Amino acid sequence: MHPILTNRSRTLLYLASWIPVALLLMGIVARGGAMPWSEAALILIPMCLVYAFICQASWYLRRAAPLRESDIVRLLTTHASAAAVSAGVWIGIAWVWAYLLDSTLYVNGIAERFTQQIPILFVCGVLLFLLVVAFNYLLITLEASQRAESKALELHVLAREAELRALRAQIDPHFLFNSLNSINALIMSDPAAARKMCVLLADFLRGSLKLGGEQRITLLEEMRLAECYLDIERVRFGARLQVERHIDPECETCLVPPLIMQPLVENAITHGVAPALNGGVVRVHAERSRTGVKIVVENPFEVESKPNNGAGVGLKNVKMRLANLYKDDARLDVDPGDGWFRVELQMPCNH
Amino acid sequence: MKLKIAIVDDEELARGLLREYLSAYDDIEIVGECANGFEAVKTVAELKPDLLLLDIQMPRLDGFEVLELVGRDVGVIFVTAFDKYALRAFEVHAVDYLLKPFGPERLREALIRARKRLETKVSTPIRELTGAARPPGVHLERVALRDGASVHVIPVSKIDYVEAQDDYVCFRSEGKRLLKQQTLADVEGGLNPAQFVRIHRSYILNIERLAKLELYAKDSHAAILRDGTRLPVSRSGYARLNAVLK
Repeated sequence: MHPILTNRSRTLLYLASWIPVALLLMGIVARGGAMPWSEAALILIPMCLVYAFICQASWYLRRAAPLRESDIVRLLTTHASAAAVSAGVWIGIAWVWAYLLDSTLYVNGIAERFTQQIPILFVCGVLLFLLVVAFNYLLITLEASQRAESKALELHVLAREAELRALRAQIDPHFLFNSLNSINALIMSDPAAARKMCVLLADFLRGSLKLGGEQRITLLEEMRLAECYLDIERVRFGARLQVERHIDPECETCLVPPLIMQPLVENAITHGVAPALNGGVVRVHAERSRTGVKIVVENPFEVESKPNNGAGVGLKNVKMRLANLYKDDARLDVDPGDGWFRVELQMPCNH
Repeated sequence: MKLKIAIVDDEELARGLLREYLSAYDDIEIVGECANGFEAVKTVAELKPDLLLLDIQMPRLDGFEVLELVGRDVGVIFVTAFDKYALRAFEVHAVDYLLKPFGPERLREALIRARKRLETKVSTPIRELTGAARPPGVHLERVALRDGASVHVIPVSKIDYVEAQDDYVCFRSEGKRLLKQQTLADVEGGLNPAQFVRIHRSYILNIERLAKLELYAKDSHAAILRDGTRLPVSRSGYARLNAVLK
């Protein structure tokens, strides 16, 4: 998009700025009585209008010599030659105009008087062209930096929002209510188990609150929290929930965003194990990969089980957090195939 | 008279808790414990409890679907950790709605209410059960049907067409005929109107099964299905069909 010609008020402002230029040029050609003021005006007012537009063609040169990639020599030669060509064309047009004035409009001798002024006008033309080029670059840079600034601000706000939403969504209140109900049931039938469950729940809540406030935590801490969650759910689901885990010790020290894994595990339980008649197994697997760390959470699911409301919200949150934190360096692949629901999370492993 | 109760919850601990609470009552007998909706339907058919303590989110068949299948004469107290179903529970005339976790006093209140309700013996019309078992604006994804003590759950995509038969509707799916006590208008209201069209007073058609339309008399058409079945299409049914197919 042309920064000036595509905007009406800018175009008018730009043309207005040519009025003093036209006056200056008239002063130059009329200096010492070389040309009467009226003749200077007759030639230069229309010619300045023409040149104002010719100079804007410089905009299309920015591709040939992009500001950031070209060195100064290339930049200067490109624009200097463009300036010479433009000024030459302009002088040519002006000369034709002067000649027309002389022959058909009976302003006798104007062409001859104008010819004497050509060298100085050519120099002025070159300088004016370069001035416009500089001004155009300034405008582009200014606009680009403004855009970048507002974009950065927008991204920052989005990132914070996603983070907050993700953290708030971590602890499903129904998880709490169901856990409390389990404790309530155990109090009479198995007081020791009730006490153990209380401690587990407290550990999980404390862990989520504390770790949720950190920027990065180690994968070991993240795993412990997820295991705490799984232990609580195992009390609730009993034999219906089995857990298999394999964590490569090599990736325990990786730094990861807090509570990034927990939604995956929760998802496996609420959408895989809970709706299945005979429950199932949740497999958690973590290992170092070429680019960082790879975490896989798998669970079997019954095709005929009713899709639970809200399925996928947890995964979408994780995806958004990863995109905000790592851009293209992290990915979350969801593969609901063949009776197994498989979620693979890959992200950088910062130490 | 002893109150016969069946407990339906997929969590062993939750069932244990209810068992414990109920053991304090001499006038209550627990006739069954079910870990899922299928068992619940079977238990109600065979043991005829007076009251169900019914969880909502369960594998395969949820609490509302269970109620839709067993209907009529059994009272129900919903027991769930979710408060979002309270309105629907009220619409299907549940006696009470207990939010987990709750204490024995709360259950006592619910049981008193249940006894009162059962004494007056107002049975819930099945229509209201089926109609309410679906939040507004959400279309059915599957239909639960009972055939004696066995339960069929068919995804709506497998329904070929639905036919009205006296007090029943007949679902045709994969060569099977499955009856359900419901009106055709109720069924129509639950299905996605972009896929299921009331082509006739007595028929709702899954338009994915439609092979072609034939004109066989002035103003009357017949729908020929992929398997060759012919169904009558009324004049207004033809207009509705055209509106969807367009």
